[in-house]
Amino acid sequence: MKKYIALSLSLSLILTGCFNKKEESKTQSPQISKTEKASSKDYIVIGYTESKTGKLATESREQSQGLKLWAEDVNKNGGIYVKALGKKLKVKLISYDDESSKDRVQQLYTRLITEDKADFLISPYSSGLTASAAVVSEQYGKILIATGAASDKIFKKGYELVYQIYTPASRYLKDAIDLLKEKYPNVKKIAIVYENSNFAKSVANAAKKYAKDNGFKIVIFESYEPGTSDFTTLINKIKKSGAQAIIGGGHFTDGEALAKQINDSKLPLKMVAILVAPAIDKFKEIGDAALYVSGPSQWEPKVNYSPKTVSGTFFGISSKEFVKKYEEKYHEKPSYHAAGGYTAGLVLQKAIEDAASLDTQKVKQALDNMDIYTLFGHIRFEKAPYHGRQEGHKMVIVEWQKNPSLEKEIVYPKEAATNNYIPYDKKFKK
Amino acid sequence: MKKGLFSLLISTFIILYFLFLPIVKSSPILREASFTTLMYIGLAISLNILMGFTGYVSFGHVVFFGIGGYTTFTLLYYYNFPLILALLIAGILSALIAGLLGFVVLNLRGAYFAIATIGINEAVKALVNNLDFLGGAEGLFFNMKIYKAYGGPQNALWLSFYLIGLVTLIALIVSYFIKHSKFGLGLFSIREDEDAASTLGVNTKLFKTLTFMLSAFFPAIIGGIFFFKNGSIDPQSAFSLTKSVEMIFMVMLGGLGTILGPVLGAVTYDKIKEALLVSETFKNLHLTISGIILLLIVLFVPEGIVGFLRKKIKPLKNILD
Repeated sequence: MKKYIALSLSLSLILTGCFNKKEESKTQSPQISKTEKASSKDYIVIGYTESKTGKLATESREQSQGLKLWAEDVNKNGGIYVKALGKKLKVKLISYDDESSKDRVQQLYTRLITEDKADFLISPYSSGLTASAAVVSEQYGKILIATGAASDKIFKKGYELVYQIYTPASRYLKDAIDLLKEKYPNVKKIAIVYENSNFAKSVANAAKKYAKDNGFKIVIFESYEPGTSDFTTLINKIKKSGAQAIIGGGHFTDGEALAKQINDSKLPLKMVAILVAPAIDKFKEIGDAALYVSGPSQWEPKVNYSPKTVSGTFFGISSKEFVKKYEEKYHEKPSYHAAGGYTAGLVLQKAIEDAASLDTQKVKQALDNMDIYTLFGHIRFEKAPYHGRQEGHKMVIVEWQKNPSLEKEIVYPKEAATNNYIPYDKKFKK
Repeated sequence: MKKGLFSLLISTFIILYFLFLPIVKSSPILREASFTTLMYIGLAISLNILMGFTGYVSFGHVVFFGIGGYTTFTLLYYYNFPLILALLIAGILSALIAGLLGFVVLNLRGAYFAIATIGINEAVKALVNNLDFLGGAEGLFFNMKIYKAYGGPQNALWLSFYLIGLVTLIALIVSYFIKHSKFGLGLFSIREDEDAASTLGVNTKLFKTLTFMLSAFFPAIIGGIFFFKNGSIDPQSAFSLTKSVEMIFMVMLGGLGTILGPVLGAVTYDKIKEALLVSETFKNLHLTISGIILLLIVLFVPEGIVGFLRKKIKPLKNILD
């Protein structure tokens, strides 16, 4: 009997699957209706997929929480004013689980567009999934705001309707170099040491080129294998080269070890800027070795972006307000993924308001012309040749300082800074 | 009716159903859903050729999916090859690699073979991760211009769909002919008792290697189509062990070593997942629920759907295969 039950269960599921489809096809037209009646529209539908399961679940959840908080804020105020329709429209978010896998991303985005009639789309988390979604969004002429995707490569694809919120990987260490140049014009020799992983490598290559263009001399450009814990040889080389600053790193563990060993060597460096590790709170566990180590981060809860601190147009709530609201709602500190999610919504909102319409082409125009500051920082998109790539947003540089316990402070850019940059070698001076 | 023919007909019917439904309705949603279904069917059939017929369980079979994906992608990305040619090259290359690998790993049996295949998958993944030419960990991304040659991205998605249907159908027919050939008989003898088969004059090494090559050919083409359609490829999605496990599961769910089994297994697995994934009520619990359902099936129908039907419904016993 049991066997029959199990079998009928599975069969009924197959059948439901098939029947569902038939119903679907009845209710939808094969092409997207571009002429939705303006007056019948009550909601702006925004579709996205979230990785509720799988390896991207944590980051994706935070991103989606940020987005939901934005939608809540907007709806509390009655929605987004669309001039062409002469009224405020509330926002309706529709999402599915993409299981952190490419398998169903396109299927779900097609569904969001054709079945759920999404007006606009937000990307999944991660560059890989975003790239899959973009193929679909682009072919249906839908705007896709890409957050949680830092790859440069997506924007080489000739997309017209994909817009990036994050600073792309090619600029991760650029701001650290800018900071160095600004503060210490005499520093000319940089050592770049990086983990032999793709992300770190592309960041290091871009940093090398940028530093050279800015008159720096790269005295060491060397990679180390993932999982390296002994940097003695590398540090000896750096010592001999007379480098005045070290930039590079890769992931958390190697970054931490690198910071420790540079500290032990007591090199007179003006800057030690490392990827990933310093931006993570756990970094302070290495104690004084963390002191004055800096690193780039997309965003930090401490950043100080508000109408008062920026020089351009500010849109939406300040970063402080965002942190407060987020903590109230979710009882945890927002990460940059969460802030990115909220900002994706904000950018869309601003574009719709500027366009005064829901028409894709008009909103696209508004996005192309956008030049605003938000809680996430500056937002402006490249026009060509990498259309849609983020060019306004700057990484913030965090530095571990003592006041009196170890604290992560933001030292760059000025608009976001919570403290001044302190040179790395200060800790060796009594 | 001949035993296998009936199963072949039903299987063909199922594949054609998923192929033609979206075309008739000209519905992109149905196309996307059916694409996944057909892809799963194709993968399950390919794995069944090895796992079902020879008894060798390849836990890393997704490696050929990835190799095919990367070959196709690279040929299109750097050298602008026509898609069909690139797919064929991907299939052949993957089969050749399988041939070379098979020579070594097919000497192992049981769990050792399974572990070796996982190792191969991880090794290839690590290799690709470190090859700049292949985009490293970040992967490669198509320029939308590539789709222009296929009438724009919209048409490219339809083209991918027709191709996946065609490949799946061919895989089915090939698997039918293997099973009902002398070659297939040799494979089954290997499955039952490899040493005895060898003693009786079956060239087990050659047979196993050929089967391994065949079962690597189709996943490569399927991988090529999948990543062409996705417009990007990266090692994580190309060599995902989860997909390997899913493939094994689908074959076992449907019925190991049968013609209809992998088809039914893939459809059941995919439809359960899909229905839960987009259902208002269950979309947040889909993994739990599909897990329970699958567990029930494995517990109560261990011989797979086809085996179960054969056992319970007398008239089917002699015609279902």
